[in-house]
Amino acid sequence: MKVFIVPPNSLILFDLVERFGHKPLSIMGALSEKVTSKEIESPPLNVTVDDVKKGLKYAGIEVPSGIRGRLAIYGPLIDEAEAAIFMEDAPYMFGCVGCARTNEMVKLLVRKRKIPLLELDYPANDEEAKAVVQKVKAFLEGLK
Amino acid sequence: MPKTSETRYIVIAPTSSITPDQITRFIHTMAVDIQIKETCFGVIIQGQPEVVAKVLAEVRKLDPNRLFSKVRGFPIGDARRCRAEHGSRPGFTQLEKEWKDLPMFEAGLECAENKGKVCEVPKRKKLPVSELKKICDEVCQQ
Amino acid sequence: MIKIAQLSCGTEYSGVQDEIERAAGAVGGKMVYPDVDLEDIKSAIEKFGFNPVSPQLKLMIARAVNVAEGHYDADAVFIASCFRCAEAALVRTELRKYIQEHTRLPVVTYSFTERTKSAQMLTRMEALVTIVERKELLARERQVGLTAGIDSGSSTTKAMIMRDNEIIGKFWLPTQDVFSSADTALEKALAEAGVKREQLEAIGTTGYGRFTLGKRFNAKLVQEELTTNSKGAVWLADRQKGEATIIDIGGMDNKAITVRDGIPDNFTMGGICAGASGRFLEMVAKRLHVEITELGQMADKGDYKKVPMNSYCSVFGIQDLVTSLAAGNTMEDVASAACHSVAEQIFEQQLQEIEVRYPVIQVGGTSLISGMVRAMEDTLGQRPIVPPHSQYIGAAGAALLSSGFLEGH
Repeated sequence: MKVFIVPPNSLILFDLVERFGHKPLSIMGALSEKVTSKEIESPPLNVTVDDVKKGLKYAGIEVPSGIRGRLAIYGPLIDEAEAAIFMEDAPYMFGCVGCARTNEMVKLLVRKRKIPLLELDYPANDEEAKAVVQKVKAFLEGLK
Repeated sequence: MPKTSETRYIVIAPTSSITPDQITRFIHTMAVDIQIKETCFGVIIQGQPEVVAKVLAEVRKLDPNRLFSKVRGFPIGDARRCRAEHGSRPGFTQLEKEWKDLPMFEAGLECAENKGKVCEVPKRKKLPVSELKKICDEVCQQ
Repeated sequence: MIKIAQLSCGTEYSGVQDEIERAAGAVGGKMVYPDVDLEDIKSAIEKFGFNPVSPQLKLMIARAVNVAEGHYDADAVFIASCFRCAEAALVRTELRKYIQEHTRLPVVTYSFTERTKSAQMLTRMEALVTIVERKELLARERQVGLTAGIDSGSSTTKAMIMRDNEIIGKFWLPTQDVFSSADTALEKALAEAGVKREQLEAIGTTGYGRFTLGKRFNAKLVQEELTTNSKGAVWLADRQKGEATIIDIGGMDNKAITVRDGIPDNFTMGGICAGASGRFLEMVAKRLHVEITELGQMADKGDYKKVPMNSYCSVFGIQDLVTSLAAGNTMEDVASAACHSVAEQIFEQQLQEIEVRYPVIQVGGTSLISGMVRAMEDTLGQRPIVPPHSQYIGAAGAALLSSGFLEGH
């Protein structure tokens, strides 16, 4: 199954989803298609004015351009997701997930899809991590 | 259109004794058409998706719970994300933090494998206002 | 290569990163991102004292602290974030103050939309690079020899002839064709000065048409209007030493520039809407059927408080004007309200992006409208200095700076 992950650039979640037999839908994968496209109009990420306009599908014109540009990349991934895992309170989220407002909107868009969803808190120690990994494993195995 | 190339991070947990150089040499012995770049936290590999998947599966076997992987958006050596050109990538600090936390997840994976007993750690709850008021009153009276 | 440290959020996802880099590259600058690691971010947030929710803003703060503490070597700072993002707007302004408090680096702030193009940022980048690269030139306080400055603005073209630090000729006219307007302005100014074009030792060009005219007149100096105007303003106002803020309300865009010893260190340019420009005042004058030159005195006699006027949009502003007249308000009150409306928007937008330092020097064509100066005074709580020939700042600055290229002086 295609599993959307939050934070969408997380190494750990990506790895766990794949390790337990599913296909993680990650922002890196979506960006990889953009940045290796033959026509690079807007380096570095090749998010163009048209992409930002496509973001209007998810948020209105009064929403800052950076949010609409991000949503234009996340949106199609969310649309094709069959399940999702959120790891809340990840201590630091940078790069692709730099905008907190976008991240909240992304979670709402996923919830509205009514797909199987596992919500976890980022662990603070080994004991919590054990519970997190067990839950992720059980959730992903349950999807098969 | 099927993807012709995929770029992947292979990140070595701080608890692993494997070095990026060992992984590189290991991949070389597989004699497959793949590009490898060593980094401070592991290696980046790039090639046809099926080759990348095959290599990754073999590399993982070296230290299953201490090697982690994810896709990378930019190809190896892309000037748009070159540290020498622009300074560190925006996502570097995220990777740095996750790398530091990998031992935690290693413990989690081991536990999951052994079907270890997991005690649900209760969430820290906030003190009810009435409790806090009681404490305030007590402290004030002292 | 001038290294411009970019402290920003949202540029890559708005499709404007390349535009920023192109604007910098076009004027010999290079955008750089100060390197930080995880620990730097934690300590920077503590030092800075504001902990934003968005991680990219945290990163922005860490990069700023890195520059401020001298760990990262940059020549200038560009701070940018998405237009309409409240959290980023707070960080952007506070970071600008922080950089200015801790460094002497020139700073410019900018809020962009997906439509932002490199051309819109070019003047700002050019100014940043000029401030770094031409410090010695900008430090020039006296004009020498016989030089001319031509300011090809969006509304008017101005020319000034100077000899040995004295103005000997000047002329202005509405801009039509860039070439012929400049030719006429220069010829008339030369005639007033009583000198011939061949006698000129150097020419400087500035304003929208600076590149085109620079080639045509073989100018020794082709310079954007932010640095040129501030130089002209402090020279005309005789405020070359110390600090000042220059407010230049032009035909199409406004500039607010802070200077230290005549060299800009922070500036903002442009408005969101024409509601804060000279063009709006022209529209008002036209609607009131008076000359723009009469609008100021008319405004002086009016009471702006009687007329509510939208300060953010010229179209709505004119609508308010029409309604007010219909409701029986006097032309004087309406004229006064129009001036206040412009002043308000300058205050609410431009002046929030810089630290106002006194004295304020008000220049540009609109500084000749007395009601506009009074409106700025009411808004600022202090009367701005309006130097003589205040509409000629660009031409004066260009004439002054171009003399810096003369050999033997």
